[in-house]
Amino acid sequence: MELEVRDLTKTFGAVTAVRAVTFTAPAGQVTGLLGPNGSGKTTTLRAALGLVRPTSGTALIGGVPYARLERPRRAVGAMLEATGFHPGRRARDHLRVLAAAAEVPDRRVDEVLDQVGLAGSAKRRVREFSLGMRQRLGLASALLGDPQVLLLDEPANGLDPAGMAWLRELLRGLARQGRCVVVASHVLSEVAQTVDRVVIVSAGELRFAGPLSELGPGGALESAFLKLTVTPAELAG
Amino acid sequence: MRPMLKSEFRKVTSLRGPWLLLAAGPLIVVAGVTGLVESGGNVHDPAVQRQALAHVGLTAVLTLIFGLIAVAGEYRGGSIADTFLSFPGRRRVIAAKLAVYGLLGGAAGLVSALVAVAVTAAWWSARGGRLHLSGSLTWLTLAGGLGACLAFAVIGVGLGALVRNLAGAVALALAWIALVEGIVGQLIGSGLARWLPFYASEALDRTNLAGATRLLPQWGGGLVLLGYAALFAGTAVVTTLRRDVT
Repeated sequence: MELEVRDLTKTFGAVTAVRAVTFTAPAGQVTGLLGPNGSGKTTTLRAALGLVRPTSGTALIGGVPYARLERPRRAVGAMLEATGFHPGRRARDHLRVLAAAAEVPDRRVDEVLDQVGLAGSAKRRVREFSLGMRQRLGLASALLGDPQVLLLDEPANGLDPAGMAWLRELLRGLARQGRCVVVASHVLSEVAQTVDRVVIVSAGELRFAGPLSELGPGGALESAFLKLTVTPAELAG
Repeated sequence: MRPMLKSEFRKVTSLRGPWLLLAAGPLIVVAGVTGLVESGGNVHDPAVQRQALAHVGLTAVLTLIFGLIAVAGEYRGGSIADTFLSFPGRRRVIAAKLAVYGLLGGAAGLVSALVAVAVTAAWWSARGGRLHLSGSLTWLTLAGGLGACLAFAVIGVGLGALVRNLAGAVALALAWIALVEGIVGQLIGSGLARWLPFYASEALDRTNLAGATRLLPQWGGGLVLLGYAALFAGTAVVTTLRRDVT
């Protein structure tokens, strides 16, 4: 399964969040969806997940819109911002709610808690969690249904260096298993060692889509990224 | 539908807040019946007995807020996105919430009814009276209270899906109960006012807090309340379908 975004446009009132964006995130690779804050990354992911309705264009997963997936949680694992938890609910209960929804056995809950390193905190309420722990719980939620497609919005937020290294290995491993992994981030250096492909958006428009290697070697990455994401107004100034 | 109901059920059972809220219902009933007796209610008067049992209807205020939490609470915490990711068919999500919260609201009413019977029986025997459970009016009063609890849970789910801002929805609901409906009722006169939701609920659960003289018959109040519940539920479904979750 892959994520296929075609000519996607989304406007909120007078604001165009995403304008005619087209790219494909193939299976077996980690695709970085990169751009500055407010560039349209999150809107693109939310459109792919059926949470916002595209003004025009499509975002298909395995060839169909999210809403038409037979068992969406088994097909797609999503991680949005780290605020989508009820603060009063225990980590394990949060996952049990999702397990019932995804129709996966409850033992998967303990498996994913273990996988993200939260087994020891399973009975704590989310309000006691640090940002990094919330991120791990978000990842556990995404992994619960053992999905073929993972759409992750800023998964490295709040992780310490060891957590970042762990995340890198996790995502690489998931791609090696043939899954389509999409990681949205506003920090290129954070994902440069993880991604195979990059999709760069800025001010809602696509600036680049292709293999990371085409952006240039090592140190040139950051300057290529900055050049691609700078707005015409900034250039003129 | 089964996974959806199971997931909703796990959601509500894994939190403390909603249960603390519902637990206040029986306490209000105990306090209310006690207050009635202590303030000189005659335990030999069948009307006073009905008045005591009618306290069950007060629980409906709590089930209303309980229902508000169902959807507005999820918007507040952001977990609504997770819910729609699990079930992109939003119509059924709202339907499941209406069912689960309606049933739990009704169950809260049932608990309050049992507590009301127990505490009324205790006070009546303490004051040398006898509780008469054989009269159909007794059962209609209890059933009306239970029905109001169920209907207001459903109205709460609908209103919460409509307003989405939890604090705003609770404030709106409480302001309506405490102020707005009374004022509107006076403006439009009691002939029309009895069709308003809380006047209708007073007809149904026989609390008659406002002391209004022209309430609908009990069955009429029940039907009107059912209509409001259907209206709110329907609006909730329609407004939730196309809305962006950002």
